[in-house]
Amino acid sequence: MKGIADITVALKKNSRPFVSVFGFVFAVCALSVAQAPPQVHLDAEGLAPRPIEELTGTTIARHYALAWRDLAGALDSNNARGLGEEFVGFAKDRLAKRIAQQSQSGLHVRIVDHGHQLKALFYSTDGASMQLVDHAQLEIQTYDGSKLIDTQNTPHEYMILMTPGADRWYVRDLEEVSAKP
Amino acid sequence: MKWGLALFLTIATLVLVAIAWFQSGGMKQHAMFSATTPEAAVQALMSDIQSHNYQRAFASLDPASDTDLPSFIRDVAGSDGSLRTYASLQSADVSPLHANQDEAVVRVRMNWSSAVGSLDDVRDLRVRREGSVWRVVWPKPAFPAVPPQVVSVNYLRWEVIGRNTSQAWGSQDVDSPKVRITSMNAISRPGRVVILGEVENEDTIPAYLNVNATLLKADGSPIEEEGSFDMISHVLLPKQVSPYRIDFPGIRMEDVKSVRMDARALLVPASADPVIAITDQAVSKDGLNRNVLKGDLINQSGRPVNIAQVLAAYYDDSGKVIWVSDGYVDQALMPQVPVPFAVDIPNDIAQRLKNYRVIVNHYSRTSS
Amino acid sequence: MMRVTTMFLIMTRTRSGSFYGRARLLAVAALCFCFLPIFASAADLHPPATVEAGQAFSIPVQGSGEATFYLVGPDHIVKRTVKLGGDLEIQSGEVSSAGRYQAILCDSSCTFASFQVNAAQPAHLSFFLHPSRVPVSTPNSIDATAFVFDRYFNLVLTPAVVDFRITPASGAGFSQRVPTHHGVAWMRTSSTAHEGRVQVTAVVGSVEEARVVQQVAAEACRLNVRAVPSGKMIALETDPVRDCSGNALPDGTVVSFTTIDSAGKSTVDTPIKKGIARTEISVHGRAHVSVACGVIEGNEIAVNGRL
Repeated sequence: MKGIADITVALKKNSRPFVSVFGFVFAVCALSVAQAPPQVHLDAEGLAPRPIEELTGTTIARHYALAWRDLAGALDSNNARGLGEEFVGFAKDRLAKRIAQQSQSGLHVRIVDHGHQLKALFYSTDGASMQLVDHAQLEIQTYDGSKLIDTQNTPHEYMILMTPGADRWYVRDLEEVSAKP
Repeated sequence: MKWGLALFLTIATLVLVAIAWFQSGGMKQHAMFSATTPEAAVQALMSDIQSHNYQRAFASLDPASDTDLPSFIRDVAGSDGSLRTYASLQSADVSPLHANQDEAVVRVRMNWSSAVGSLDDVRDLRVRREGSVWRVVWPKPAFPAVPPQVVSVNYLRWEVIGRNTSQAWGSQDVDSPKVRITSMNAISRPGRVVILGEVENEDTIPAYLNVNATLLKADGSPIEEEGSFDMISHVLLPKQVSPYRIDFPGIRMEDVKSVRMDARALLVPASADPVIAITDQAVSKDGLNRNVLKGDLINQSGRPVNIAQVLAAYYDDSGKVIWVSDGYVDQALMPQVPVPFAVDIPNDIAQRLKNYRVIVNHYSRTSS
Repeated sequence: MMRVTTMFLIMTRTRSGSFYGRARLLAVAALCFCFLPIFASAADLHPPATVEAGQAFSIPVQGSGEATFYLVGPDHIVKRTVKLGGDLEIQSGEVSSAGRYQAILCDSSCTFASFQVNAAQPAHLSFFLHPSRVPVSTPNSIDATAFVFDRYFNLVLTPAVVDFRITPASGAGFSQRVPTHHGVAWMRTSSTAHEGRVQVTAVVGSVEEARVVQQVAAEACRLNVRAVPSGKMIALETDPVRDCSGNALPDGTVVSFTTIDSAGKSTVDTPIKKGIARTEISVHGRAHVSVACGVIEGNEIAVNGRL
């Protein structure tokens, strides 16, 4: 993903100032669209042993979406710096390890995210953990350098553990399981 | 042109020096030695106190004053790490009470500014005429002497061993204390909305507590969020109850549909001492004819309390909290020595109050 | 696999009864046959459909020459040059994380296959016991939740049974066996009538995790104050402060004494020490004394300052 700086540098080649200004605005808009978190729909119907509070549900959906945005960005850029905002524990450690190895191997992964159907399975009575399953529509493209070596465009299913922090819910565990088509 | 500039600079310098002299109380100091009225004498004395020139202030007192310089300084500037030692005199309002040819009584309302707000000290001073000059008679301050003794302290203290952050998720941890807001009342005051009530530490361990309130519109969106700041006893021992008050200046009650309350408690090390008794509490009028809740604080422990804050909750006849007010005590609480306090009560509250409850927040330099 | 599927699609699309249809089919088949040597250099991959985490295995690869092999897993990336016509060895450390893995083999073109790595046997428990302190005799007040993980900290999604063993400080213990659902088992129980430590141990197979909940006294019950002379003062003293089950309230619990006499009201918030709360207060004339602990009020007595 190109940064704003890269795009603006490219725009500087254009001699017409108004075109540059327009181009910069366009670049910012394009990037903001590119960095927008994916659609996440949370279904918490019949959640046990504790029902979910409305605010908690909203927070979880928002931060899960942000987690996927950060994850996609990190796997594409091979930069694990942004993961700590939304990931913690096993999930963060695994992703950081993967990104380091991706970077070492010259691979990167681009995710085209078509949205997530999140279903809450378990919410502990103390409110300290929530287990969810995610039916995600993802197009996962694996590159070796600039060469596309694999494209996956199948449904994916993830088992997720989320735990609350001071101001957000973190993804603590994210494991892909065999998706039921 | 060159001389004109020099002349202008000279005049400007003189004007600035004159302003500085006025500002530093030079006029008042001059007036002191020629205080032709009782009020002028008190004003001059206050001016010296304001500029921390205690020696000059002491020198200006009437020789009949039965005090010495250290006592005078201690009386005026505070001691033992009390709040007064951190305060400075902001202003002094002087009003004559009565006077005759040679003697007068002047009421002075000293307003001290401190980190926790302004503090009032109202005193009625006797002023005597000596020749053509009036001088203040400063009464000998009665400092309670704590007899030398050994006070055995058998106090309780809680220490916290927290979870090691390197330990795995799910390892044994200690829960935060459980606290409960036992009452909440939203009232409209001039220019603001006030949320007040009481909160109890229901747990068996001490809690460090913060109460926040969010005012919500009819559509559920927040108008403003505020915390109780110092209008609460933040450290609550097991089963201790504290009043709280949260002010929302500039908000009108008509705009508020509901209030979201949030009491957050943290596990902190704490000590059960000192115990401070609040004796002889009574609602009365002060020298300025304001409604006040007065009483004495007695530190029942062996260690001085440097700064004390009194928090009072007032109840109506149905037992509902209708107001919470506070006041800082500018003297240190020495062991076993009664120290007076007074907290303001608004007139309308004073008419409705049926009962009240007072607690004391304390800060000691050596405490944790 | 990918190549075969593509050819099949082409063939099915051209299936028709017409002469032109048959001719097109033949032409496509011929074209595929001509290009076969090029595709043949990228060998097919046939990994097992599922693998247990941390289990080494091999993927047989046919063909000859060299190719680049990629293994893309949740926390592991492999890129290495392999010789075709043998087995691709996957080390145990390369499949330690549960999840979906992509095996990709590339030379002039790429083939891929995916396989699932499932968690191994239970080896760790993340065990949450809530709360860490609970008043005695409170129904459904203790919650235990156990997340079952394997030795690589993958959540074990295959059903297992967690045995929650509850051992109070006094009295007989008991246990509850709870099957996991998506790797989680939880139970709820009531606190008993006596204060003290209660140990709860979660056991799955040979894995055990113990946690402790402290049962503490509930609200004060029958709070009683009495006055005894103490020099010029009056000492106010409670009886031992206990809850309704007879458990002593812990030291440090605040008891509030209130005295109303001719001089006004006096209050002292004093902590319980050695089971009782005590304070000394000066009283002017007849006074009315009351006592409270939190929101619980005790008895009221009348005393005389000259007592």
